[in-house]
Amino acid sequence: MKKNLNEKTKMKRLEPGIKEFSEMGREKEFKELDRIAKMLVRRDFELLQIRERREKELKELEERTKQLTESRTILLNILEDVEEARGSAEEERDKTLAIIENFPEGLLLFDKENNLVSINPKTRDFFKIEPKELIGKNITDLTEVSVLTSLIKVLGKEIEGIYQKELELKEDLVLSISTIPVLREKEKIGTLVTLRDITRDKIVERLKTEFVSIAAHQLRTPLSAIKWTIRMILDGDVGEISKEQRDFLDKTYKSNERMIKLINDLLNVTRIEEGRFLYNIQKQDIIEIAKRVIDPLKEMAQRKGLKFEIKFPKGRMPKVDVDSEKISLAIQNLVDNAIHYTKTGSVRVSLEFEKEKNQFLFSVQDTGIGIPKAQQKRIFSRFFRTATAIRAETEGTGLGLFIAKNIIEAHGGKIWFESEEGKGSTFCFSLPVRKKEFEEFIEGF
Amino acid sequence: MAKKVLIIEDEEVMINLLERKLSQEGYKVETARDGEEGLGKMKKEKPDLVLLDIIMPRKGGFEVMEEMQKDKELRDIPVIVISNSGQPVELDKAKELGAQDWLIKTEFDPQEVIEKVKNQIG
Repeated sequence: MKKNLNEKTKMKRLEPGIKEFSEMGREKEFKELDRIAKMLVRRDFELLQIRERREKELKELEERTKQLTESRTILLNILEDVEEARGSAEEERDKTLAIIENFPEGLLLFDKENNLVSINPKTRDFFKIEPKELIGKNITDLTEVSVLTSLIKVLGKEIEGIYQKELELKEDLVLSISTIPVLREKEKIGTLVTLRDITRDKIVERLKTEFVSIAAHQLRTPLSAIKWTIRMILDGDVGEISKEQRDFLDKTYKSNERMIKLINDLLNVTRIEEGRFLYNIQKQDIIEIAKRVIDPLKEMAQRKGLKFEIKFPKGRMPKVDVDSEKISLAIQNLVDNAIHYTKTGSVRVSLEFEKEKNQFLFSVQDTGIGIPKAQQKRIFSRFFRTATAIRAETEGTGLGLFIAKNIIEAHGGKIWFESEEGKGSTFCFSLPVRKKEFEEFIEGF
Repeated sequence: MAKKVLIIEDEEVMINLLERKLSQEGYKVETARDGEEGLGKMKKEKPDLVLLDIIMPRKGGFEVMEEMQKDKELRDIPVIVISNSGQPVELDKAKELGAQDWLIKTEFDPQEVIEKVKNQIG
């Protein structure tokens, strides 16, 4: 107790000091506390900031990871695509190679400098050649390879554009040759030559032509007999006939004449197909030939009530190398058509000499039924007749213009026309007085 | 005396027609169905003119003309070829072998045959 008392007293004595002291200490303590608190707050704030930053970084990281994953996926996809593309490219290449290797036609590929790039097995078979020795060679060097000489001659040293040119390589091998320019973005990067074996086609064609030729010849004999018999009856050689009998026989005679014309046309077509069409080529006066053909036709036109005009050049004209029988036939077919397919109006025939081109220009203009636009392309095809022509005139073989075209072209000339349905047609042809190709053509006979 | 024409032709109808037509015109007509028979008749009958077909059995028209060329007695008898085909090659060959004239059956009337005969022998 005593001790406590003492202590109490002591305390009492100390009290103001303590008080002072403690007051002082408290202030300090407060300050300290304040400092700490502030520090804590700051730290807290810093921590928050750090946390925020970390979160942000984490987010960024996440984002970046995501991006990376995506990039990876894309990259993988690309890789996959590339792989796939390579695969399909290889597949494509294999396919193309397979096509070239197994192609039923012979193929030769040249680059733009006309060096041989590749040939396929069929070509090897045709010429019995080994590609190793030939690849990379220029076309000018290939002429030295004897088996290829004839082919190169057809192609030309510049490899011209050719379409279905025939080449008889051997007796039992006929090829049809075509060239196709290989283009990349409109720029020529090479030439592909195709060789088609047409040996069989040629045989079939020849057999067909021979058949038609024989059949036509066989048909002519009885037709001649009919023609002559009717003629004699009509001429009264076997006694008087009544008017009715005469009418019937007249019609029969005309039908028979039509049949003879058809057969003659067929024979001409077979001769064109056999390539032995032009025969008797001599220097001729074309105006004289045209006159001979046109005069009887003029009468025919006038009987029909058509105006018929002829315009021929005056003065001395050069003579032309022609097969006069064939040229007559061409003129006849054109003028005959003009008269047949014109109901009213006129037919104008003109022949002029174009000095600067050294050629004659023949034209026949009518005011007839014309040729429908859609059918104009086929007008020179064999056996083709336009619907309007068939309606206007049941007669007709559809061979006249085909024959005319072949005759004119065989003479080195050109044939063309202008026509409007319902208004009329103009057919023209040119006939060179002399032409180099024509001379070569004749030499071939 | 009537002029004598020999027709060498294998087509019966043609022979009949020509024979009739020529007889009407006052010619004396002999006929043969092929080249072989024709040459025999030529030697026997000495015709003034021969109408000759080209494609015939046994002996064709070209052979007939070749043999005529070799025979002194027959060489000068005028020949008119009656061709069925009318191919220029054929006609030229006929000319070469000495034919005076020719006609293509489908392109001629009997009357024109008579004219051609008259041109040769009147």
